Amino acid sequence: MKHLTEEEMMEHYYSEDFGKAKAEAHLQACQQCSKAYGELSRLLRSVQAPSLPPRDSEYGTQVWQSIQGSLQPYAPTPKRRFFLWPQFAYAAACVLVLAGAFWAGRIWEHVHSMPFVAGSEQQAKERVVLFVLDNHLDRSERLLVQLNHTNGEENDVDSRLQAEAQQLLSDNQLYRQSAARANDPLLNAALDHLERVLLEVANSGNELTSTDIASIQKEMNTQGLLFQIRVLRAKVSEQKPNAGAIRKGATI
Amino acid sequence: MGNDDYALIRSVLAGEKDAYGLLVARHSQSVFRIAFRITENEADADEVVQETFLRGYRKLQDFDARSNFGTWVYRIAMNCALDVLKKGKRQTAVPIAEEYDSELSSVQLADCAAGPDRLVLSQEIEKRRHAAMERLTPTERVAFVMRHMEARSTEEIAAALGIAPNSAKNAVFRAVQKMRQSLAPLWVRS
Repeated sequence: MKHLTEEEMMEHYYSEDFGKAKAEAHLQACQQCSKAYGELSRLLRSVQAPSLPPRDSEYGTQVWQSIQGSLQPYAPTPKRRFFLWPQFAYAAACVLVLAGAFWAGRIWEHVHSMPFVAGSEQQAKERVVLFVLDNHLDRSERLLVQLNHTNGEENDVDSRLQAEAQQLLSDNQLYRQSAARANDPLLNAALDHLERVLLEVANSGNELTSTDIASIQKEMNTQGLLFQIRVLRAKVSEQKPNAGAIRKGATI
Repeated sequence: MGNDDYALIRSVLAGEKDAYGLLVARHSQSVFRIAFRITENEADADEVVQETFLRGYRKLQDFDARSNFGTWVYRIAMNCALDVLKKGKRQTAVPIAEEYDSELSSVQLADCAAGPDRLVLSQEIEKRRHAAMERLTPTERVAFVMRHMEARSTEEIAAALGIAPNSAKNAVFRAVQKMRQSLAPLWVRS
C-alpha cells in the first residue's frame, strides 16, 4: 500500500488534490495515514488569522485624503470633433480603404515572390532563440556551480549570488512560459525546477547563511538540477549551427 | 458593483481625479485586511494600503475592462505587502524562533482541555504561530496567508506572485512544514 506523502496530505486538506476520492478512501483504509492526516489538519485548524484592528467607515476617506495630494489628474481625452463632420469622415474612410488595398497588394506580392527569404527569417529567429537560451542556461549553470560550492561564509559571494539569481529569475519565467507553449516538457520541467531554486536564493533575506545554502542544496536537489541543465545545454548546443566549430574555438 | 467600479475608472481616466476617492473608500477595508494579515503590523498595513492605491492610480490606464477592480487592486496590495516584508527583512535581523524546547513541555496540553487551560494553549499557539510567520521567507509568507487565511487557489497565488503554480505550491508546503515544526510540540499525541 502506498502511503500519502506530507505534500499530498496538505493538498487534500486544502481540497486541491485531483484524486480526492482516492485519497479519502486511502485515509479510511490506512490507520497510519489517517492518524498523520488527523494531526496535520488539527494543527492547521489551530492556525487562525490574527484579529484585525478595527477600521471605521471613514477609513477609506482618510486614506484618500492622505494620497490625493500626490496624484496628478489624468489629461482628459480630447473630443474628436473632426469625425463629427460626416462628409470628411466618409472621404477619409475612402482614402484609408484605398491606401489599405494598395499596401495589402504590395505585401501580397512581396510575400509570394520571396518564399525562400521568409523561411530564412524563420531560421534566423530560431538561431537567435537558441543562442539566447544557451546563454541563459550557461549563466544558470555557473550560478548552480557556485551555489553547490559555496559555504555561505563569504558575504560578498552571497550577495552577488542573490543579485544574479534575481536577474535570472525574470528571464527564466519568460523561457518557462515559452517552453510550456512550445509543448517541451523536458525543458519546461527543468526551468520550473530552476525557477524554484532561483526564487529561494533571491528571496532568502539580506544574507544567505551556510544553513540556508545547505537547506537549499538538500531540499531542492541542486546537484540533480545542475545535471539537468548540463544535459539541456548539450542539446541546445547540438541544435545551434556551427556548434562544433564554436566548441573547437574556430573563428567564424 | 463591478460596473460601478468601471464607470468610476472611466471618470478618473477622463480627468476626474476625485472619482478615485470613491474607489478607495469602497476597497480600502479589504485591502487593509490582506495587508494586515501579511504584515501583522498595523503601521505597515496602513503603509501598504496607501502604496497600493497610489500604484493603482498610476497603473489605472493598464486596467483591463474585463477584470474586476477589487481583484486587481488585491494583487497590487499583495505585491506591496511583499515589498514591505522584503524591506523589513533587510532592515531588521529577524531572530530565529525557538524550536521545540524541552523546558516548554510543561505547557503541552491536550487539545480537549477547556477553560483556563484552553486559553493558555490558545495564547501559546498564537505566540508560536507569530514566531513561525517571522521565520517564513516573504514569498512563503504571502503564499501561506493567501492559501490558508484567504482560501485562494494555487493558480491565483501563482498569478498574483508572478511565479509558476508549482513554485507557489512549494512555497505553501514549506510554510506549512515550518508551522508544523513550531506548533507540533504543543499537541499531546493521544
